[in-house]
Formats: sequence, C-alpha cells, structure tokens
Amino acid sequence: MTDSDNTLQRAVRDAHARAESAPVPEFEQTWAAARARAGSTRGRRYLLAGSVAAAAVLAIAFGLRAPLDDDWQYIDEYELLETTGWSAPSDSLLPSREFDIYETVPVLIESTETYGGALL
Amino acid sequence: MRDSDVLENNPHISRSALEAIHGQVFGWALSRTDYDQATAEDLVQQAYMELLTGKARFDNRSSLKTFVFSVVQNLARSRYRRIASRLRLLQTAANSGIEESAHPVEPEDNSPVWDAVLALPQRQRDIVELVFCREMTIEAASSVMGVSTGTGRVHYDRAKKALKTKLGSFGEWSDD
Repeated sequence: MTDSDNTLQRAVRDAHARAESAPVPEFEQTWAAARARAGSTRGRRYLLAGSVAAAAVLAIAFGLRAPLDDDWQYIDEYELLETTGWSAPSDSLLPSREFDIYETVPVLIESTETYGGALL
Repeated sequence: MRDSDVLENNPHISRSALEAIHGQVFGWALSRTDYDQATAEDLVQQAYMELLTGKARFDNRSSLKTFVFSVVQNLARSRYRRIASRLRLLQTAANSGIEESAHPVEPEDNSPVWDAVLALPQRQRDIVELVFCREMTIEAASSVMGVSTGTGRVHYDRAKKALKTKLGSFGEWSDD
C-alpha cells in the first residue's frame, strides 16, 4: 500500500465510523430471537410434514376402497348389440356423419362414359 | 471453544465466537439495509437462524467472520432487496415533502469522504467498506461479495482511483 492509500484508508475509516453511529443491539437479545424463530420454523415444518402424511393416508384409503356399483362406462355392450346404427368413435361428436348401413347406402360415384375403352 | 458453546447443527461455530463478531456483523447488516436499524436487526436474526438450523453450514474453509458476512450478504440479496427498494421509495417520498420517514435510511454523516464512498458503484463501495472499514483482505472481501479475487482486486483498484480523483481537491491523495 502506498502512503496515499494509507491516508485514503484512514480517512474512509474515520468517515465510516462517524456514519455508522447506530447502537448495536444486545447479542443475547438477538440470539434469543433467532432461537425462537428457528423453533417456530421447525414447528411449521413438522406441521407441514404431518399434513402431508395425513393427506397421503387419506388418498391411499380412498384409493383402496371398493369401486362404486354405478360406475359408468364408455360403451354399453347390450346397447351396441341391439342396434344396427354405428358411428366411428372419432366421429361421435358429429351427428351428420352417423348412418345406418342397412338403410342408407352410400352413393358410389360411377361413370358410364368410356375413355380409351375403359370406364372412368 | 467450549463444548457446551458449540452450535448443535454447526459444530465448527461457537456462540461465543459469534458474540465476539456480533458488532461487526450488525454493522455489515446495517450497510446491506440502507442503514435501517430495524431491518438490519431482522437480517442479523435471520442469519443467526440459518446458522442455528444448519442451513448455512460453516466448514472452516474461511474465517468465521467472512462466512457470516457472506450469509448476511446472501440473505440481504435474496430477501431484503424488495424491502430496500421500498425504503428508498419512502425516502424519496419523504424528500419530496409528501411524508416524513420514521427511520433514517442513510448515515447521518455528510463528510465529503463518505459522500464520495456512497457515490461509488455498489461493488466498489462494498469492497472499500470491507477492506478499509471491516479490516478484511481483498480475498476475503471478494469471497463475501461472491466474486473472484481477481474481480475483487479490479473493483478495489477502480474504487481507490475514483476516490482519489473525487477527493483530489483535498490535496492528500495524489499517487506517489
């Protein structure tokens, strides 16, 4: 360190000592408050762990319970066998696509005109 | 270090060692919180809590003072940034005559030297404070600030140059 560095350091240190005039709180008091906060944090952690464990127990209990009788299904087997109507699963939301294959015959595109000896 | 004195979750820290540096830790916390006494007290409590619970674990790789200063610095960065900005807003409001602030948020001293330090960029101001006022080496100060020693040295040199330039009118700081 040069002399000018030392002079600068002394000046800054003096100015800082004057600036930082706030009274230092008692260590005992700060320490006790920190201990209390640490204790309450631990208590909150235990409470959280207890709640998670209780939720897990409830979830397992409900998950293992017997299934309800009136559980609905996507496809009713009997309903399917009693009808000739059918719609593709992917088209089920589009009523206009539904047709009965015994009543509605799809119109096939045919041509009687020939072209070069072959039907178009 | 007395056995009964050692922290349960931090076996390399004793309560008496913390008590010995308590004043310096509080001073550093004050500086981190724009010199707001209540916020600084809260910050120190939070730092001690981290040590008590073992969330911040000291393993003797630096001095205890450097370690605790780092804990305070990290907590201040993560938790008190918003509070500090609110305090600055309050101070701005008080200065514009809208509201009188209950707590002073800047040191009372208005010496040109300290004003020049406060006018430095944050990192230069931090390293000047740590090295000049808290008696740390540049290496330890860099560790507290979370920068490499090389970077810390650059901030330190720039800060000294800036201070000498600003305070040049006093005629004492010209380089030899």
